[in-house]
Amino acid sequence: MTLSSVDREPADADPTIAVSVRNVGMRYGDFDAVKDASFDLPKGKFLTILGPSGSGKTTLLRLIAGFGEPTTGEIFINGEPVNAVPAHRRAIGMVFQRLALFPHMTAAQNIAFPLKMRRRDARTIADQVERYLDLVKLGGYGGRRIDALSGGQQQRVAIARALVFEPDLLLLDEPLAALDVKLREEMQLEFRRIQKELGVTTINVTHDQREALVVSDEVIVMNDGVIQQKAQPILAYRKPENAFVANFIGVTNFVHGIVTGVDGGVVAFRSGGKDLRGIAGGSAPQLAEGAQCSAAIRAEQIRIVTGGETPDRFEIVVEGVIADTIFEGERIVYEITVPQLAEASLRVFDHDPAAHTQFQPGARIQLGWNSKDMHVF
Amino acid sequence: MKPPRSAYPWHWRVLDVLERVVETAWPRRFTKGLPHAMLVPVVLLVAILIAGLVEMLDSSFRVLDTNTFLMSDFYTLDNYRRALTENFFQSVATRSFIASFIVTAITLVVAVPYAYLMVRTQSPALRKFLLVALFFPFFIGEVVRAYGWLIILGNQGLVNEFLGLFGLSSVRLLYNYSAVIFGLVQYMLPFAVLMIAPALTAIPEELEAAANSLGANWIRTFRHVVLPLARPGLVAGGLVVMTLSLTNFAIPAMLGGGSQDFMSNVIYDQFFRTSDQGLGSALSILLVIAGSILVGIIFRLFGTGSLAIKGARK
Ligand SMILES: Nc1ncnc2c1ncn2[C@@H]1O[C@H](COP(=O)(O)OP(=O)(O)O)[C@@H](O)[C@H]1O
Ligand SMILES: [Mg+2]
Repeated sequence: MTLSSVDREPADADPTIAVSVRNVGMRYGDFDAVKDASFDLPKGKFLTILGPSGSGKTTLLRLIAGFGEPTTGEIFINGEPVNAVPAHRRAIGMVFQRLALFPHMTAAQNIAFPLKMRRRDARTIADQVERYLDLVKLGGYGGRRIDALSGGQQQRVAIARALVFEPDLLLLDEPLAALDVKLREEMQLEFRRIQKELGVTTINVTHDQREALVVSDEVIVMNDGVIQQKAQPILAYRKPENAFVANFIGVTNFVHGIVTGVDGGVVAFRSGGKDLRGIAGGSAPQLAEGAQCSAAIRAEQIRIVTGGETPDRFEIVVEGVIADTIFEGERIVYEITVPQLAEASLRVFDHDPAAHTQFQPGARIQLGWNSKDMHVF
Repeated sequence: MKPPRSAYPWHWRVLDVLERVVETAWPRRFTKGLPHAMLVPVVLLVAILIAGLVEMLDSSFRVLDTNTFLMSDFYTLDNYRRALTENFFQSVATRSFIASFIVTAITLVVAVPYAYLMVRTQSPALRKFLLVALFFPFFIGEVVRAYGWLIILGNQGLVNEFLGLFGLSSVRLLYNYSAVIFGLVQYMLPFAVLMIAPALTAIPEELEAAANSLGANWIRTFRHVVLPLARPGLVAGGLVVMTLSLTNFAIPAMLGGGSQDFMSNVIYDQFFRTSDQGLGSALSILLVIAGSILVGIIFRLFGTGSLAIKGARK
């Protein structure tokens, strides 16, 4: 690869950055599938792009893989601009949504394919294939045809095939989406193990928030083709950048109101007849007195005060009526209508097994929470 | 028990009546035999075909008495001896077979990119154009199309007139082997494309993207992924083109001008020119046998392709 003259160098040409996406946009007709996306991914990190279906995740990933050129912006891999480099000359391993294994080849032939295409020394290919079959715990399965393997085994072949040529970057486009929950959770940890073992920089795409939080070093939340937030999983969860992120990750309640005062990071607002407070959400909050606002609070931050808890532990205590009781096994989810907050509907968890049969629909209870857990947008 | 009126719309009643009519006209116990009954037309057609073949087989063992123009009462292998040993028939057979191989090869080479473009193009307009261009020749028919080539390629044809504009002397484009091959390829192309396109459609585009990301440029993607996966379509298309070419009549007759006869033309001559039904039958039987052997060999070598009946997919 030659360094062509480009006007936009990556932000700082930092040698620790593996992928740098600069103001990338992709337009189909008059529809923007990806809008002005920018981020840097350090080498060796596991990044997950999280977003609902149709939010442009695959589009962004395919641009990085080299299937098509972005309409605007530039992508850098290891500091080199790659917009003009075709997919087959980028050293990127990709695992596709539907795996895209070659059905006319055996598992071993699939894994050998990238080595053959890269004209590696034929004598070393068999060994390398064997090594990667072992890495994904498929030793001895090399001779199987693809359709003679189970779903999980096919996943493993696909991963081995994407990694066997030691790419700079591994891309995963929701390859686990089609698996059942148990296998999916097993494969998530397996991805993480392999990624750690090889230290390969990885971009994973998913609409499964649990997967994003479990496996990633960094999470990017996308919606409508726009990056909403890039943060470590814990921060994306604790400090959502906007209402979309707050809603998309975790079980989140919203209370709508009118801002009555802003004091530094603290926002006072009125919902229904009640005065509430919360912290201003996002990195650049735009809240002024009199503006409409939505306050987000996680289901697990709201406690049921009635019985057990003492009301004075909470800054806010409201009255509610149980509208529905949902048994989820390890916990019960109560859906509670709060007349004081303009009939807002709040979801609250109850993990106390002794309390599992405590409340029936129609029961009146007290709810309590603290203002620091409420993010106002 | 009757459900309340409101819950029972009138079109349900109509269907009920229809169902009762069907039940009386075609009682349930008939239904079991239905699949067999549906085979009757096919069996009839095949039976007629076999009857015809048996009749031909019979005449193929009788020789023509040139005095009375009647077939002999006795059986003899004379027709087969003539068909297999006479130089003329040998050269016609060789010509037909070689032509069918060449036509098949050229047709497949042209049809694969055509079908690929038709299946993969992003532009609906281009896809429509390719489809219409494919079906258009079907409306015209073989003979008219061959006649069209006479007009275009003849000594006073469009091509030669065009060459004449540049002062070039006219070229003999018709009545030779290449003209026949050319005409056959042009005639067979739609069949081949129609057989190959479904096989290509069945290949997920993601496989090609995968091959790309694994380091294969488009040529190697085509060679290692697309072609092997399209093989059933290629085999089926190849077979159709090969057998149709081998037994073609109109194009060698018209574009070959009598000098490039195929087996069908020679058989036609036996039946309708010299009225030697015996020799004609013997040649026909030989053509059927040779064609079947050829198809058998191809099945053996390449599998039965998308014509697979059973167990061909491993
Ligand atoms: N080739 C294309 N032509 C037109 N629209 C497309 C194309 N590819 C994707 N899109 C549109 O872009 C949007 C984002 O698609 P995609 O990136 O596949 O979303 P995700 O992977 O997040 O589900 C979708 O609305 C989709 O319809
Ligand atoms: Mg997708």
